[in-house]
Amino acid sequence: MKIVDTKGFTCPQPLIMLKEALLETETGEELTVYTDNDTSLQNLLTYLRDQGVEPRVTTSGKVHTLVTGRPAASTVEASDPVAYCSTGPVNDDFVVCIKGELMGEGDPELGRTLMETFLDALKLQEKLPTHVILYNGGVKLATKTTPTCQSLAELEELGIRVMLCGACIDHYGLQYGIGVGMISNMIVITETLASAGHVVYP
Amino acid sequence: MLYTPDPMSEPFDLLTTIEYGGCSSKLPAGLLSEVLKEFPVITDPNLLVDVSTHDDAGVYKLNDETALIFTTDFFPPICSDPVEFGEISAANALSDVYAMGGTPLLALNLMMFSNAEIPMEVFGEILRGGSRKVEEAGALIIGGHTIDDHPPKYGLAVIGTVHPGRLITNAGAKPGDRLILTKSIGTGALVSGQKTGLAADPDYRRALDQMKRLNRYAAEVAVKYQVSGMTDITGFGLAGHALKMAEASRVSFRIVTGTIPLLPGAFSIFEKGSIPGATFRNLEFSGARAHFTRNVNHTLKMLAHDAQTSGGLLMSVNPDHASSVLAEINEADPESGAVDIGEVLSESPRTLYFE
Repeated sequence: MKIVDTKGFTCPQPLIMLKEALLETETGEELTVYTDNDTSLQNLLTYLRDQGVEPRVTTSGKVHTLVTGRPAASTVEASDPVAYCSTGPVNDDFVVCIKGELMGEGDPELGRTLMETFLDALKLQEKLPTHVILYNGGVKLATKTTPTCQSLAELEELGIRVMLCGACIDHYGLQYGIGVGMISNMIVITETLASAGHVVYP
Repeated sequence: MLYTPDPMSEPFDLLTTIEYGGCSSKLPAGLLSEVLKEFPVITDPNLLVDVSTHDDAGVYKLNDETALIFTTDFFPPICSDPVEFGEISAANALSDVYAMGGTPLLALNLMMFSNAEIPMEVFGEILRGGSRKVEEAGALIIGGHTIDDHPPKYGLAVIGTVHPGRLITNAGAKPGDRLILTKSIGTGALVSGQKTGLAADPDYRRALDQMKRLNRYAAEVAVKYQVSGMTDITGFGLAGHALKMAEASRVSFRIVTGTIPLLPGAFSIFEKGSIPGATFRNLEFSGARAHFTRNVNHTLKMLAHDAQTSGGLLMSVNPDHASSVLAEINEADPESGAVDIGEVLSESPRTLYFE
C-alpha cells in the first residue's frame, strides 16, 4: 500500500503530492495520505470527490488519515495517446428532448405516469445524457413541488444540464414557478440539438 | 533597530517577507457577507451604489453632472520586485473606478512597512511603481498614510468621477447580452506556481505584465458603448465576481468554460495540483449557485475559481454591439485578448451555468 506523508506541508503542497502519487497508483490499488492541516484535508477531499472518489477519513490527535482509490476518469487515461488512435472522433453523447408533459399518445393520465417514471429511470442509466431539454408543455415538468421537478433536480446534481425554453415558460405564465433548470433561449437549444451525437424523444 | 543592508546582498526580494504557502490574503467571501449583513443599510438619495449589490466601489452623486466613485484596495507582496509590486497594486486599486465606467481623479497611498525589516529604498521603489500607474491613469496622488507593520502591504484609496447618467454598475446585465472578459484568467495559478517551482519563467513574467496593465483602455470602450453591466475580476475569481454581478442584476449567466482565456502555464500548474487555498474557498462560496455540467474539466472548474490580482473587466454587452466592443478593445489594447465567454439568461433557479 502506497503512503503519502504530507505532515508539516501546507497548501498547495499536499495536493501536488497526492496528484503525483495518484499517477503511479494502479486502478484498484489504495493510497494512504497523512495530513496534519485541516484546510489541506478539506481541499484533498474536494479534489477527490470531484473525481468521483469517496475517501475514508480517520483522525487521531492532529493527524488525519485518508484512504483513497484511484479516480476512474484519471487524467493519465484521458491523455493516453492510444485513445486518439482509433477511428476518429465519434460523438456518442446524447440529449434527451421533452416536447410535452406526457409520454406517448393515448390516455393522458397514463402519459403523465410514464413521463414521471421515465425521468426517474433516466438517472439510473449507465450512460447519462449531456442535456435534458424541455420545451412547449414540457417546461411544466420543471415546476416546483412536482415529482418530475425532483427527478430533474437529481439529474442536475449528476452534472446533466437541464435546459428550459424561456419563451415557453412565459407563454404558460410559469415565471415564478420554476424549480429546476437553466432558463434558456432557442439559439442555445438549437445549437445543443444540432451538436448532439443523437437525440432521444421519450 | 534599523535594517542594516549587507553590502554583498542581492536586490531585496519582497517575496521573502511573506510566509510560504500563504495562499491568499482575502477573507472568505461567505464570512464577510455574514458580518456585513448585521450592519444597518445606509440610505441616502444621493448614494447611487451602496454595499448591497457587492459592487466594485461606492458611488455618490454630487450634482446632476458629477458623481464620485470611492474605493480602496491593498495587499501584501505578490512578486519580488518592489517597483512591480507598486505597479500591480495600484493598477488593481484603480481598476474599481474603471469597472464603474469612471475616470480616476485623486489617490492616496496606503502603506504598511517596517524599516526594521526592509531597507528604506524598497519603500521608495514601491511608491515609484504606484505613482507610475496613477500617472498613466491621469490621476494625482495627493498624500497617504504609513503604518509600521511587517510583512508590508501597499495599495491605494482612489476617488474617481463619472456622469451620474453614464455610471455602469454590476446590476445592469440584461438577458440576451453577451459576456466579454478582457484579461486572461490564471494570475493566482502563476503566482502560486512560481512558489512551488511549477511556473516557467516566461509564463510567470507574462502574468506579472498582465497584472500591471490598467483596465483603462477596455473601460473606455465600455463607456463609449454604454455596456449594460460591468465588474472587475479580482480575489473571488471569475465565478465569484460573475455570481455577484448576476445576482445584483437578477439574471443568470451561461459561461462556456472552453472559451475562458487562460494565461499560458495556468492549466498545467493547476493540473499538477498546485492550487491555492483561495481557489477552494471561492469554490465553496459559489456552492450550489453554480452548476457545472459533467463534461467540464475539473481543472477548468478550479481555474474559474482562481483568485485574480488586478484581473480584467467582465462586461455584459448588448448583442448588437458585442463584436464592435470586442474589436475596439483588442485594437485599443492589443495585449488584452478580450473574448466572448458566454451570455446572460433570464433569472433561473441557479445563478451560473458552466459548460
